[in-house]
Amino acid sequence: MKLAWLRSLETSHQDCVWACTWVPATDKSPGLLLTGSLDETVKLWNPEDLSLVRTNTGHCLGVVSVAAHPSGKIAASASMDSFVRVFDVESNNTIATLEAPPSEVWQMQFDPRGTTLAVAGGSSASVKLWDTAEWKLVATLSIPRPEGSKPSDKGNNKKFVLSVAWSPNGRQLACGSMDGSISVFDVQRAKFLHHLDGHTMPVRSLAYSPLDPRVLVSGSDDERIHMYDAEGKTLFSSMSGHSSWVLSVDVSPDGAAIASGSSDRTVKLWDPKMRAAVQTMTNHTDQVWGVKFEGGGGGVRGCLLASVSDDKSISLYNYS
Amino acid sequence: MKIEKYFHNSIYIWKIFSIILPISNGKTKYLTTADDDAGEGSRKNTLTPALCDCRREQKPNFESMACVYIPVQNSEEEVRVALDQLPRDATDILDILKAEQAPLDLWLIIAREYFKQGKVEQFRQILEEGSSPEIDEYYADVRYERIAILNALGAYFSYLGKIETKQKEKEDHFILATKYYNKASRIDMHEPSTWVGKGQLLLAKGDVDQAFSAFKIVLDGDRDNVPALLGHACVEFNRGKYSNSLEIYKRVLQVYPECPAAVRLGIGLCRYKLGQFERAKQAFERVLQLDPENVEALVALGIVDLQSNEASGIRGAMEKMQRAFDVYPYCATALNYLANHFFFTGQHFLVEQLTETALAATSHGSTRAHSYYNLARSYHSKGDYEKAGLYYMASVKEVNKPQEFILPFYGLGQVQLKLGDFKSSLSNFEKVLEVYPENCETLKAVAHIYLQLNQPTKAHEALKKAVRIDPRDPEAFLDLGELLISTDSGAALDAFKTARNLLKKANEEVSIELLNNIGVIHFERGEFELAQQTFKEALGDGIWVKLIDSEAQSDSFRKVLHQPMDASLAARMYKDMQLFHNLEKNGISVELPWDKITTLSNLARLFEQLHKTETASILYRLILFKFPEYVDAYLRLAAIAKARNNVPLSIELIRDALEVDDKNPDALCMLGDLELKNDDWVKAKDTFRAAKDASNGKDSYATLCLGNWNYFAAVRSEKRAPKLEATHLEKAKELYTKVLVEHPANMYAANGAGVVLAEKGQFDIAKELFTQVQEAASGSVFVQMPDVWINLAHVHFAQGNFPLAIKMYQNCLRKFYYNTDSQILLYLARTHYEAEQWQDCKKTLLKAIHLAPSNYTLRFDTGVTLQKFSASTLQKTKRTVDEVRATVAELKNAVRLFSQLSAASNLQIHGFDEKKIETHVGYCKHLLEAAKVHCDAAELEDQQNRHRLELARQAAIREEESRLAEEQKKVKLEKRKQEDELKKVMQQEQHLERIKEHWKSSSGSKRKDRGQEDEEGGQGGERRRRKSSNKKRKRDKKPMDDDQQDYEETNYYQPDNQTNDNDNDNPQDLLAAAGLEDSDADDDAGGAPSSNTGRRIRGWPESEEDEPGKRQPSSSPVRDNSAEMQLSDGE
Repeated sequence: MKLAWLRSLETSHQDCVWACTWVPATDKSPGLLLTGSLDETVKLWNPEDLSLVRTNTGHCLGVVSVAAHPSGKIAASASMDSFVRVFDVESNNTIATLEAPPSEVWQMQFDPRGTTLAVAGGSSASVKLWDTAEWKLVATLSIPRPEGSKPSDKGNNKKFVLSVAWSPNGRQLACGSMDGSISVFDVQRAKFLHHLDGHTMPVRSLAYSPLDPRVLVSGSDDERIHMYDAEGKTLFSSMSGHSSWVLSVDVSPDGAAIASGSSDRTVKLWDPKMRAAVQTMTNHTDQVWGVKFEGGGGGVRGCLLASVSDDKSISLYNYS
Repeated sequence: MKIEKYFHNSIYIWKIFSIILPISNGKTKYLTTADDDAGEGSRKNTLTPALCDCRREQKPNFESMACVYIPVQNSEEEVRVALDQLPRDATDILDILKAEQAPLDLWLIIAREYFKQGKVEQFRQILEEGSSPEIDEYYADVRYERIAILNALGAYFSYLGKIETKQKEKEDHFILATKYYNKASRIDMHEPSTWVGKGQLLLAKGDVDQAFSAFKIVLDGDRDNVPALLGHACVEFNRGKYSNSLEIYKRVLQVYPECPAAVRLGIGLCRYKLGQFERAKQAFERVLQLDPENVEALVALGIVDLQSNEASGIRGAMEKMQRAFDVYPYCATALNYLANHFFFTGQHFLVEQLTETALAATSHGSTRAHSYYNLARSYHSKGDYEKAGLYYMASVKEVNKPQEFILPFYGLGQVQLKLGDFKSSLSNFEKVLEVYPENCETLKAVAHIYLQLNQPTKAHEALKKAVRIDPRDPEAFLDLGELLISTDSGAALDAFKTARNLLKKANEEVSIELLNNIGVIHFERGEFELAQQTFKEALGDGIWVKLIDSEAQSDSFRKVLHQPMDASLAARMYKDMQLFHNLEKNGISVELPWDKITTLSNLARLFEQLHKTETASILYRLILFKFPEYVDAYLRLAAIAKARNNVPLSIELIRDALEVDDKNPDALCMLGDLELKNDDWVKAKDTFRAAKDASNGKDSYATLCLGNWNYFAAVRSEKRAPKLEATHLEKAKELYTKVLVEHPANMYAANGAGVVLAEKGQFDIAKELFTQVQEAASGSVFVQMPDVWINLAHVHFAQGNFPLAIKMYQNCLRKFYYNTDSQILLYLARTHYEAEQWQDCKKTLLKAIHLAPSNYTLRFDTGVTLQKFSASTLQKTKRTVDEVRATVAELKNAVRLFSQLSAASNLQIHGFDEKKIETHVGYCKHLLEAAKVHCDAAELEDQQNRHRLELARQAAIREEESRLAEEQKKVKLEKRKQEDELKKVMQQEQHLERIKEHWKSSSGSKRKDRGQEDEEGGQGGERRRRKSSNKKRKRDKKPMDDDQQDYEETNYYQPDNQTNDNDNDNPQDLLAAAGLEDSDADDDAGGAPSSNTGRRIRGWPESEEDEPGKRQPSSSPVRDNSAEMQLSDGE
């Protein structure tokens, strides 16, 4: 279990890079890296040499999240003005513009089959589900108000939803909130299942293990990475080691390692068995907002890991 | 958490032990005792034997007589008197002596015999009778015997005087002795024995020089006079001229080879003093050959044997002492040595018996001092300090000068130290140091006392000296290190390390305290790796090793340790002890020796520093599992919980701590902090008060907290009550000042004082203070004071130094917060705003939103910024189409932001006034409309420009075409002309002229273009007019300064809370909740900027007078709007 630094691009964007994801390869194009930045652009990169494939404009107020359809043909990007732009990866034609006011837009993720786009809805304390065929809002998964609280309470603000993740079988969906709680939903029945407690500060990133739909990994401002049994409601482990907020987590395709990006400017690789960090990468000089394993490729030969940071740079590593 | 807590108190207790210890194992002492006593003993012994010798010398032949015969007067008969059967009443024999007019020598013999038998009274009676005036008269011609009697009396009284301790009686004896000698001298001036006696007397009086002259008189007459020679030798001995003394003794031997053994004793003593121990030993042995029962020789030989310092030698010495004791059980010196011996063999009962006998047997001061000392030491080692102190005191009293016998002073010092009487102890140790200025043990003890008396400089001096004298003494380095910890951690570390190396070299165990201290210093210096190593070394093996290091865990252990925990309980993780119960259930013993708690908690603290917080929490819990009364562990866990924002758990842990110790000021202060965080102002104040009371006002932290409380109270309320504010500020200042008076180096108090000053507008002084604190705060890993950076930046901001303020905020963000603090980003944005750096301001606010998505204040501020940016761009005289387009885009964003906020306010997600937002939306929309006009105008202009360019381009193409055509023509013409060349040269010239003319005409068309531009001169005029309005705006800046003042008074100073994990957000959240932030932004949006926009709007009609009048109505509502806005701002 090891990360090897491959290459970095110093000024990939004009400003802080806040989001990244991998666009799966299609018959026509290899896998690409998609990044979004405060400079209001979304860029596509060829991982081979980190050459720029295209720059998409059209967003205002900083791109906070990007998501790629499992087909590799469609992708979505969202900015702070609460618009989601869905576009064709190859042509950059806008397929749809989504908004669900007054809900904001934070993290997004396509479900593994590609039929639904889940969008973390900020202060609406809900996750919005969009149908990818017609681009219609099909469901709103709301976090129930804590018992006894009045609807007028400002307390609901604390359930501000930041992050979202699909289980690998697409049945469950988890979302993380500002107050540190994680809520798990049954998607088919559009039903709230339970909370996962343990974090006490905003949960900015969630990731299921691609191999085990029970294992959910979360990163929080409380500097911890938690591993939960999302069904059994138990906390496997709480790992500390970052010296500031954990902004992003991802599980490797083989399910054996966790990568994390933190405000402490590092990328760490964790061994969930040892409950300890096995490697720390220090090539970034500012907060690392995104870490992402290149999915699908999995298995023996290893895969790529991308990280993006406030220092405007992108880095690629080989995970093996 | 305060750092001092991590040094454990037990170190000192242990230290006192270490000082006591040398006594009981007493290596150094043994040597000095032996050495010193040999000197003492020999000096005291020389005099007594010499005295006896003299008497023996005088009449050596009397010795052998068993009986005397007193001749009966006028007859041949004699009265036989058996010397061993002398009558008890001396009067009987006196009667016979008188009646028979016995020769005086018989008187002397009988008197001597009485003396020998210890019947001193009878001895005196006979001699006094023998020296009475009648006898003088009767035996007037018997001079020698009369002198002998007088001399005997003189010698007797000199002896009495010598052994007498009371000064007055001593003098009386000497006076008597002098009287007898003088009387003897009157009988015969030149009698050598009288001079010898006088010499002895003077010696006894300590008048060595006069004694010498007395002996010299004799020796001048007879240079072989043995007694005088012996006296002379004694004088030389006392003068410390041992070789001279030895020479004289040798001469005595030559002159009088059969002299008694005692002379050889003198030789032995001289040789001993000269350091010729072997030959001294030979001499003593010779004495013993001659006189096997010579106690002095036995003792001296014993001392020489002791000197060898070998086991066999010591054993031999003790045998000799034993023999001396058998021969003469009252020889105090021998008794002392025996006692000394039994002290070291631990037979304290014997020690006491022997010394008590010795005390009874001797009245000699120095010997008694030794005896008392032995006795005291015995009690000392048994731990009976009271008695030991008394006997040491008795011993000290027997000693005239400390240099003669210093040990009891040392012992007394130790006992007094133990009993806490530092002053007396110090004076005793100082006496020791006067004699032995380089004694390390004493130096260490003195240093310790100085430390107790709070004189660290002197303590430091003493220890430094000790270390210099003996660079191999780990203990001294240890003490030195401890002393230096607070002042010079580098030097302390060096000292500790030296101590550790010395101990390791000596194969002694390195104490956990020492390693702990080394670790702590490494920790403080930021050398975390070394600190960790050291702590681990200190802790050794135990359950913690497995808890710390996941690699050391076996799979089964890991399985037990990491049992999944119900997520709903995870929030209470730091109280979970199940883990250890599980381990125990699985047969893994969970043990923690008490002496390792401190180090373990230090290690846990180190893990916290390294962000291995979970490991740290397990260690803290381990401590609490075994020692639930260890308050510090609760507090650290509470701090960890607090850092994770888990306030309920943190409070619960502190309550646990308070259950153990309900007066713990640290716990109370932390509780107060948390209550403040929960917005529980009244409770917090009570808690801080309790903390202050619990520490008797000595804990400056509690005072500081109260000061902070007062400060927060002063600035918290949105509706400002100047009176209340002033009282609170004054109180805060008072409290900060109080702390500063007690601890002038307290940075937190200085920071607080600076804040109060800044609140009062004294920026320069505040800046000075903050700068100093900032300098002081850089250096220690424990002191993290971002607040002072922020405060300094605030002051720069308030003074209008925006670039510096920006730099400061940025540095602070990066240095302390990994750029994660949205609050500071807000300060930064505000500074950019004031500096009119709109893009930077917008970016900063967007970053802040990204960090704190649920903070709607930031969105509002972003909207305001965009609005301001747009307004100011539209106001600019020169702007490109792109700029105008950007403005339009930003305005759209602003409208969107405000409408989102407006929509969200329906859901009561944030606390903004809906109306206010609506106003902003309305205003932005209006701006947007207005901008559209500008945009259209700009676009038109742009189109015109483009059109113009297009025309120009086409014209150019046409020209080019025509030029080409011309050229072709020309070529043709030329061809033709070439043909006609010869024909018409003149024609050619004309043609050329024509071409020139054509060129002229084309440049004329350009001129025409320019003319077109001039036609648009109206716009230029407009520009000029705008410029003038711009100037107005600049003038308007002055009131803005007032605004800043206003702003300063409203807020933001952030006093520190001393804890690293300061609750910044608390007061700030409060401010935010109170709407302070947006009110600031509002001040600008409504205050200066709106007046600007108002002016700008007024400028519009001016600039667009030529525009159709229908625009006018659309601008007037804006004016109303802005007025409304000002109203709404006034709320």
